[in-house]
This record gives sequence, C-alpha cells and structure tokens, in this order.
Amino acid sequence: MVSKPRLITAEELLEMPDDGFRYELVRGELRKMAPAGFEHCTNAENIVATLLPHVRANGLGRVPLAEPGFLLTTNPDQVRVPDVAFVRQDRVEATGIVRGYWPGPPDLAVEVISPNDRYTEVAEKVEDWLRSGTRMVIVVDPRRRVAIVHLPGKEPITLTEQDTLDGGDVVPGWRMPVADIFA
Amino acid sequence: MVSKSRLVTAKELLEMPDDGFRYELVRGELRKMAAAGARHGRSAGKVARPLMNHVATNNLGEVYIAEAGFLLASDPDHVRVPDISFVRRERFEEIGDMESFFPGPPDLAIEVISPHDRYTEVTEKVGEWLSAGTRMVIVVDSRRRTVDVHIPGREPITLTEQDTLDGGDVVPGWQMLVSEIFA
Repeated sequence: MVSKPRLITAEELLEMPDDGFRYELVRGELRKMAPAGFEHCTNAENIVATLLPHVRANGLGRVPLAEPGFLLTTNPDQVRVPDVAFVRQDRVEATGIVRGYWPGPPDLAVEVISPNDRYTEVAEKVEDWLRSGTRMVIVVDPRRRVAIVHLPGKEPITLTEQDTLDGGDVVPGWRMPVADIFA
Repeated sequence: MVSKSRLVTAKELLEMPDDGFRYELVRGELRKMAAAGARHGRSAGKVARPLMNHVATNNLGEVYIAEAGFLLASDPDHVRVPDISFVRRERFEEIGDMESFFPGPPDLAIEVISPHDRYTEVTEKVGEWLSAGTRMVIVVDSRRRTVDVHIPGREPITLTEQDTLDGGDVVPGWQMLVSEIFA
C-alpha cells in the first residue's frame, strides 16, 4: 500500500522554520528548490537590471526579489516561485503589500532554466503560470541562448540573440536585447 | 584550442554500421539516442495502434515507427527521429517509398518523453519540427499523464486524462482518449 504524504498548506509553508532551503508547493506537496548556479543568477540579474529601473521610473508596479511565492490555487494549495516576477501597480494597490504569499499570479514570470531541468517540470510550471492568469511567461534557455515568450492564446515565440525582448502591454515600454541576458 | 569534430552527412549516417545505437544528426553532429524504458515503449504502442488503424482504414497516408529519420535541412545535414510520425497520402505518393531518410518533415510528429528528458532538448526538437513544416506535434508526458499538442500559429494545448486527442485537419477523424495512452 502506498501512503500519500499529508498535504501542506500555504500558511504552513510560510511558517516553516528555515532549514536553509526554499520550497515550492505543488498541489499541496513540498518541492525543494536547489540553490542556482552562478550563470543562472547572472542571467536573472541582467533581466532585473533593466526591468527594475524601467518599472520604477514609470511607476508600473513591483519587481519582488529573493524568491517571492505566488499562491496560485488553494485546496490543495499551490505556491510557485519564479526567478523574476512583475506585478502591475493597480493590482499592488488593490491588494496591498501582504506579509504572506502574493494571492494570485504575477503579471510577468521569468524562468531561467538550467541545462538539466526536466521538460516535464518546466512545461508544468509554464502551464501553471498561464492557467492561473500570468499574462507573459519568459523561459530563458542559456544552452541555446534563446528566450521563449509565452502569451495566453498565442503560439510561443522563440527569440534568439539577434532579437529584442518586448514587454508588450504587460510591461509597457520595457525592451531589452536577448543578447544582453547572456552578457 | 577547441577542435570541432568533422560534420557527418545524412548519407554517412545512413551507411554507418549498426553499433546497437540509433543516432540523430543535429546540424551535422551525431546525437546518440538512449534505449527507452518499458513504459515509454508501451505508451508509444498505445498511441501508434489506433493511429495506424485509422490511417490504414481511411487511406490517409503512412505511419512511421521504429526510429524513421526525417531530413529537415542539408549542409549541415539535420536528421531528426520522432517516436511515431505520419505523412499524408499526397505527400507520400509524390515522394514515394525510399531507403534513405524521408526528405522533409512529417505532417504529424509524436514524442513520448521520459521523466528525465531535458526541457532544453525537447523544446528545441518541438521547435524544429514546427519550423520545418510539421503541422502537429504531440508530446506525451507519462509523469504528468498529459499530452501537449503544438499546432503552428496557436497556443499549445495541454490535454489531461479527461480529454480527447483529436487529429484535426492533420489526421482527419482520428480521435483517442488521453486516458487510453496511460491505461
């Protein structure tokens, strides 16, 4: 007989003592996040370095750092953590700066993947973001040096180092050359 | 100094003595395909059987199994191998039966992935099928028990066990329950 582990709630996750690891909650089950390698972090840094000043200068919203959790569904609770996130200003004003996880999806989620990340897990996470209402998901693949842009209802677009990432109507006015992500 | 290995051609690949492995040719470089696990083969069989029956009964074209290679680009030669594929009758009649790799993309490519398959590689391959002209790419994920359907110009759809896979205008009339793939 296989016994299923007890499901964890978002509140329990938030109050868990620090054991040195970060966790996501995937349909009530803890999923440990390994610390990322240096290249991965510099790719995320390069994105934040252009996204954050643009968002602040134009009062567009917040770019929460340090593994922000987003509560995407409840019962079972699902808390997902993107590498880079953006929540637009009117949603921040309506909800306030909550101490716990942000209740709902980010408007933009960026995932920087590592060469060993499994298809099944990344595809699942992209699907979770889009299904819960994230309006743009960018998957950065350092091995291929591409950024794959997912918008709800549209075919994903693969941008190469010759292309420019564009925030569209999700982050109006934000543009950055894909090559700069890998610089 | 990094020395690049000499590029291999499709003709050389076809004439290579059997060393017990199958290979793809990714822009002229050999990529070894590991033998698949039992579940992988079983899932592939569950999809192939109804597809073959439907295609044969309605004289729609040809279904390829057993690692048939498709030559997607030349110089450097690019040969990709789906788990299951379908070429519609008009294209098959135009090109005919041949000993060498099929010159061009299949109309339908089905990839049954294993939990360890990497996102960067699966996504690259799906993108290559679509940009080569494949009209539908189906990714079967036995861990999630889902089927991702990619059609050019559309948002990918993730089907669950409650859904029905539909050949649309690529394999007209072909339908099967997703749950039957994982039964």
